[in-house]
Amino acid sequence: MKPSEKLLQKIIEEQSEPAPRWHFAVKNKLLWLAFGLAVVLGALAFSVILFAIQQTDFNITSHLSHSGLELFLGLLPFFWIIMLVAFLLIAMYSVQYSRRGYKFTLAKLVGYSAALSILLGTLFFIGGGAERLEQAFALNVSIYESIQEKKVRIWSMPEEGYLAGEIVETGLGTFRLKDFQGKEWTVSYQDAFIPPVVLLERGEKVKLVGEIAGKDEFAASEVRPWGGVGSRMRRGGGNNGKKKG
Amino acid sequence: MHLSKEICGQLSDRELVEKSLEQVDYFSCLYERYEAQLLRYVKRMGVVTEEEAEDVLQEAFLKAWKNLNAFDPALKLSSWLYRIVHNQAISCLRKKKSFGKDQRDEFDDRRYANLQDEAPAADPEVLERTDQNIHKMLGELPLKYKEVLVLKFLENMSYEEISDVLKIPEGTVATRINRAKKAFRQLAEQHPENLEV
Repeated sequence: MKPSEKLLQKIIEEQSEPAPRWHFAVKNKLLWLAFGLAVVLGALAFSVILFAIQQTDFNITSHLSHSGLELFLGLLPFFWIIMLVAFLLIAMYSVQYSRRGYKFTLAKLVGYSAALSILLGTLFFIGGGAERLEQAFALNVSIYESIQEKKVRIWSMPEEGYLAGEIVETGLGTFRLKDFQGKEWTVSYQDAFIPPVVLLERGEKVKLVGEIAGKDEFAASEVRPWGGVGSRMRRGGGNNGKKKG
Repeated sequence: MHLSKEICGQLSDRELVEKSLEQVDYFSCLYERYEAQLLRYVKRMGVVTEEEAEDVLQEAFLKAWKNLNAFDPALKLSSWLYRIVHNQAISCLRKKKSFGKDQRDEFDDRRYANLQDEAPAADPEVLERTDQNIHKMLGELPLKYKEVLVLKFLENMSYEEISDVLKIPEGTVATRINRAKKAFRQLAEQHPENLEV
């Protein structure tokens, strides 16, 4: 018997049928859907990373007397970085296993997936979605330490020269500040650098760089808005920094 | 029903695929059209005996039949068949290796019976020996180098076709061929007697 006849016989005996066309079409579409979903989720992760960078004062780590590296690592939004990498991998994997995905080099796969996530993530961040997403996450996931919580932790080290809280009373060259632990401080700011966006009003949240000047007293050398760059944009501050007193 | 060569010969690859989906008998045309070429490739990849090579081909065509609807018409049918046969051959070689039968230790002269057509006209005996030595050396190379050299220089495929067979980007094919050539050259320098004609 010729091999071709043997093959036909085998096919007929096994009653083998080709898998339906839709089976392969669905598989291919699912892979592209997974790619799209992974890119969007990666974009969300990237937008929160941008929000975290905006909210975190990485520059202060260099001034600290104890391990700056340890603090810097503690400030990195690892959860979102891991999410971003995971979704990028899923996106790459999905394309690679699609019908003609093998035509893309690894560099192209990484490049396209990352570029799409970065672009969408930046738009989401500009639209303010990152902050809302991060807040929703902090509210609903108990083990997750929010960016806000991390920030509070950093700015609650008066002995290191970092203090933050809400202004509860204002005076001439001084104000009363209630920190995030509920403790009240008298803050003097005569020689402090204060950007114009800071209004020094009751109820305003600020962060201070300086040193402890006595019991419950803090001498500020810098007074910054609590909200970071975003607060400047929201409040429309435009003139240069000046000293108030 | 077995179809005659005349009927098979009148149809293109794509027409045969379409006809096969309607009537399985046409699938035998595809088998016969590519049988010799693919059988030779399976042997070049290191499947030693005729029987094993035929088994590999049968299994590969069964898989091709089951996945016939997955055939992408943007590809050449030959590239698609080579891909399935390649995977089946590798799987067969791995199985053999796991049972302790390394194909490199079982050098069988019969597998090179069809290779003389690539050799220039000279003393046939010497040429055949050189051919065998070249294939012996190919067997010494890592699989990823051996497969690109076989596809490029023995199967005379383009980079695009090799990319479709191995499912790797064309750039990777080019890089791998360059590295494979270097590795082969190194091996040839270590054993110059293998290439003496």
